[in-house]
Amino acid sequence: MDLDADLDIRPAPGFAHASEAELARILDFYAVAWEYEPRTFPILFDRSGTVLESFSPDFYLPELDVYLELTTLKQRLVRKKNRKLRRLRELYPDVRIKLLYARDFRALLFKYGKLALADALTGADGQTTPPKVRPPGPIAGPLPVGMTLAAAAAEPGDRTTDRVARDPSHRADHGRRRARRTRSEARARAASRLATAAESGGVEASA
Amino acid sequence: MTRRPDLTADVSEVLLSEEQIQAKVLELGRRISDDFAGRELTLVSVLKGSLPFMADLMRSITIPVQIDLMEVSSYGGTATESSGLVRILKDLSSSIDGRHVLIVEDIIDTGLTLNYLVRYLRGKNPASLQICTLLDKPARRLVEIAIDYRGFEIPDQFVIGYGLDYGEAYRNLRFVGVLRPEVYTDPD
Repeated sequence: MDLDADLDIRPAPGFAHASEAELARILDFYAVAWEYEPRTFPILFDRSGTVLESFSPDFYLPELDVYLELTTLKQRLVRKKNRKLRRLRELYPDVRIKLLYARDFRALLFKYGKLALADALTGADGQTTPPKVRPPGPIAGPLPVGMTLAAAAAEPGDRTTDRVARDPSHRADHGRRRARRTRSEARARAASRLATAAESGGVEASA
Repeated sequence: MTRRPDLTADVSEVLLSEEQIQAKVLELGRRISDDFAGRELTLVSVLKGSLPFMADLMRSITIPVQIDLMEVSSYGGTATESSGLVRILKDLSSSIDGRHVLIVEDIIDTGLTLNYLVRYLRGKNPASLQICTLLDKPARRLVEIAIDYRGFEIPDQFVIGYGLDYGEAYRNLRFVGVLRPEVYTDPD
């Protein structure tokens, strides 16, 4: 039985956070099929039924029929995420979802001997949401594996928006990535673009 | 880990004493012997952590059994990181086709390795496939797996001993203990 079939040819989605890319690599390693943000759940409506708020869990594991939501925010900052999750469970009781907090993710990476990586990907330092303003200077240091250029250019901040609330340019970027690019090609391209941007003295923000 | 492990000082508390473990192993052995009486049973141990548990469990089982060993690469391991995919480092030495198989694990936390193993072994056509674990850490579960024989449910702490390691050390402790956080947060 070939459990590894097709894993290498899956296009790399545009992860909003480097920690999501790392979790995807772990799932890939153990041959657990996943989909990235495949479904958006409306969780708040006005009186006319218009959707006011939605929630898109990060991963869906189709073989296990479970959603995973990963948050690497510090514990005191996850109140909004917890509220959304409670709301989702109220409205969709048949949907199975697990929330991985920063401490869970850190423990996961510690288990695999990657504690230093956990420190780099959790808390404010790990936030990679496309920024609202352009960062003041060039990015120093290597680009984490799986992190997009736009993500690397982002300022650290509170990732409280879900997929439906992101700016259109991010969604368009996500769609392009879903085409045919393999994971390794994406990494090489991002690294190349980062190097070019660093040489020119700055990085254009995507928003 | 560059510091030299101290098998006494590095343990902050004994979570399960040798006596508790042995009593539980005997209990599990009795249950397994009853449940599989008259059937062809193969115990499959997953290296390296489950070795002490396997050795004690098989001797507490009172029906004929065969044993086999498997080893699976772990995420983050240097030898396999380049491939990015889990690998069977040691496969079964005998066929399990038509046999009743009991996977013997030291601990189940995320369930990722076990989930892979279960799918792998199901492909080898066993008559049945069940799971026995000494320790269950459900707080860390990513993949839900039905456990047929569970020794102890433990809290979300880093445990060592009775086969469980940190940096390949502490496996030879006769009890299950909690590793002092300073040991794995100490940069030296």
